Amino acid sequence: MARIPYWNISYGVIIDLLAIPVFLIFVYGLYLQWQLIKKGQLRVIPSITKVFQGIGTFRPGAFFMRGILNPKIYRKPASGVAHGCVFWGMALLFVGTNLVILNILFGLPVFTGAFNRWFMSFTLDLAGLLVLGGIVFFLLRRQFMPDRLKIPEARTGFVLVSSLLGVLIITGFVIEGARLCANTPEAGAFVGNFLAASVISQTSALQIHTMTWWVHGLLALFFVAYIPFSPLVHIILAPVNSGFADPSPGVKMGVMDFSAFDDEDAEELPALGADKLADFTRKRFLDFASCLWCGRCQEACPAHNTQKPLSPKGVIVTLAQKLAAGEMEDSVMETLSMEAIFNCTTCAACMEVCPVSINQPKTIMRFRQNLVMEQGQMPELMGKAITSLEQRSHPFFGTGSGAAEWRKDLEVPKFEAGKTEYLLWIGCSITYEQRAWTIGRAMVNILKSAHVSFGILEDSRCTGDPAKQMGNEFLFAEIAQQNIDDFSALGIQKIITMCPHCYNSFTRHYPKMGGQYEVIPHASFIRTLVDDKKLQLDRNAQTITYHDPCYLGRRNGVYDDPRNVIASVGNLVEMPRNKNESFCCGGGGGNYWAEETGTRINQARAGEALGTDADAIAVACPFCLLMLTDGVKKYTEEIKAFDIAEIVEKCLPDMAEG
Amino acid sequence: MHIAVLAKVVPDYEVPSMDFELSNGRAHERFSRMMGLYDENAIETGIQLKDKTGSSLTLISYGLDSDVQFLRKGVAMGADKLVLVKGTSDDAAVIAQNIKQAVEHLGDVDLILAGQQSADMDRGVVPGILAQMLGAAFVPQVGYIESAADQWKVSQMTATGRRELEFNGLGVLSITSIPENVPRIPAVRAIFGAKKKPVVKLDGIDQGKMALAEISVEIPKIESVCEFIDAEDPNEAVKTLLSRLTEERYI
Repeated sequence: MARIPYWNISYGVIIDLLAIPVFLIFVYGLYLQWQLIKKGQLRVIPSITKVFQGIGTFRPGAFFMRGILNPKIYRKPASGVAHGCVFWGMALLFVGTNLVILNILFGLPVFTGAFNRWFMSFTLDLAGLLVLGGIVFFLLRRQFMPDRLKIPEARTGFVLVSSLLGVLIITGFVIEGARLCANTPEAGAFVGNFLAASVISQTSALQIHTMTWWVHGLLALFFVAYIPFSPLVHIILAPVNSGFADPSPGVKMGVMDFSAFDDEDAEELPALGADKLADFTRKRFLDFASCLWCGRCQEACPAHNTQKPLSPKGVIVTLAQKLAAGEMEDSVMETLSMEAIFNCTTCAACMEVCPVSINQPKTIMRFRQNLVMEQGQMPELMGKAITSLEQRSHPFFGTGSGAAEWRKDLEVPKFEAGKTEYLLWIGCSITYEQRAWTIGRAMVNILKSAHVSFGILEDSRCTGDPAKQMGNEFLFAEIAQQNIDDFSALGIQKIITMCPHCYNSFTRHYPKMGGQYEVIPHASFIRTLVDDKKLQLDRNAQTITYHDPCYLGRRNGVYDDPRNVIASVGNLVEMPRNKNESFCCGGGGGNYWAEETGTRINQARAGEALGTDADAIAVACPFCLLMLTDGVKKYTEEIKAFDIAEIVEKCLPDMAEG
Repeated sequence: MHIAVLAKVVPDYEVPSMDFELSNGRAHERFSRMMGLYDENAIETGIQLKDKTGSSLTLISYGLDSDVQFLRKGVAMGADKLVLVKGTSDDAAVIAQNIKQAVEHLGDVDLILAGQQSADMDRGVVPGILAQMLGAAFVPQVGYIESAADQWKVSQMTATGRRELEFNGLGVLSITSIPENVPRIPAVRAIFGAKKKPVVKLDGIDQGKMALAEISVEIPKIESVCEFIDAEDPNEAVKTLLSRLTEERYI
């Protein structure tokens, strides 16, 4: 017998009518969320006119891929599968419910034939079971919470919504079972048939059906109305936040315009960075509102993992609480500490794992910008590095290296306007840190061996990246503008970088200031030379593990080129955490100049690298090389860390410094 | 109350010895120029004192027009104005004479702070000579300053201890480096604000030279001599190293 709408129910249309105010309450709840988010600063992107509601550019593709399909959620298999069961199960049940409504309103024949058997009965029963399974997992997990959920604190409200949803599913099954018990079993409805046959007595089936139908209907209405006021609002906010998220990998800090500070007529000067909630943009407010406090970010954070005060979850949770309480003007720095804010290595591991596309590093960096540029506060060593960068154009205060020592007795061509094709950008670390000199020397020999037209600048330079990462956008802007002007005068168009921080600056920030170049990281350039057979390398049996620099990998998506280069000279062995899950060396975000508390990050990473038993640890970043060289010393006196250029240089036939 | 802080723009004081070279008997022009490190300690001390006492603070320098861009950092740190006496002499007495001119130009200076020694000449004598010229009290190597009634209480920090002193009237204090006077990083607003603060330029005078003639200037040649310390374990190696360094009078 085909299902009949409102079978055994009188006045069932009441539920349908109540759905109208419930829908309005649902919309009103979302409107309140928007009212909160709207209190954030408008986002102004001069080059982009389509800034939706002052939040940013909405990308439907990201909304669907990152927000709805959300592959990141499955990186934790157990909770990922549970989320998948609940989300996709509910999605199917939502479709089923709407088909029932269409059947009532327009007589859509959904309760007949194979469709009824395989979708309306079997699939929806299966969906209900999946949802129920997911809910049982979530309820158990709330009882036995992992640290990431409860540190620094757990979000409340999940037990109520999970229980409510569980009751909805169970009552749904009971309704089906009672209906089938009073009628005949239905092909495909395996849960309903089981309950009808084994649990529900035929004598009370009609009564149970009626009562449960009303309970289920009213609870469902309450549940829908409650969604925007509960943590479940993330089913709306998370995909929306993903839709507004920056499509490029890693953190994109943008560049700041300081012209207003020089303008005598400027009425109001913009706040630099953020000190209070009101200083953040609507997009950041959306981040805070979307956060589920799941703690995946702090679990991936190198600072948190090594007992430092920073918890990216703690930062976002603090702001989320202030947002919910409407505390817009209170200084947040009183809650967060300066030490925590400067612990961030800007490695972007947190945002990489965040299932709701929150940009934690950008929020942390905004606090850092405020501390440095508005309050002149920063840890002492970072302060010395910034001062040195300002005074000497490099941050390596107290260096024992002269500007030209890295290339002593090595003939290195200078870049000549109109003659040289590539600028080999040396950068500050290779110039001023003795251990890094050999990266520059090796790259020069590689380029010479491949007969590449290249040259270096007369004087040593820094891109300004350390200033930017330590929060001093003003100093970065000054240095970058000077470089751009000089590059223009020299007609530089193509740049080879050996430092991913420089690469990141040239590709992410310089274009916004008028510096457009073709920039190639040295690992990618070497790979091209190998692929084009311009470099002949002697491959050997050495095993090499590769540490992905955060600014090359997570921030710029360069994972394969260095691995291919390694494969051309030896045997690659992967570390447990690699590619986008790589663990930072500890030197990013200016923390090369930090006095660490807790376990040293570079030692943790070096231990992981040595755990592979590889003959060598390859890196493609001078800062990573310096950090890991130091980290390895905890375990062995042997030199194990090398830049990829050093490894390749050793495999050049008849290698001899020119 | 009016505090004056002396600051001198010098060549980079951190140029590695391997890279250091002379030009006309002075550090090569290619080296970056900046305020001396002790001078920044003095400015920081002055700003803290200014904040405590509600004083005004003026930066005084003897040097070139082109030094103003580097001295602006001191203004951005918290000074109210800058007085530059233009001149190029390296003679300590001439420098002191020119600074005295700036102090007299200001007229109402109550306290003068200076770095304990300049980062280029390393003499540490200008503040003393200036004090003598002004008939003021002079205390070298000062770490802490307090204003109490009509008196100044200062702590002189030496390698062997701390001495508390007090004086009335005008004083010239040369400031040493202590954890409390690590130079602040100027905020961006202050950097822009410093561009708008007044800069007074005075023509220097070239008189009162000491009876001295510079015959030559040399810098040490860098030699690298490697000696391996033969030891069974790190503790023994450290003991041997310490004893060798003491023998060679490095420590």
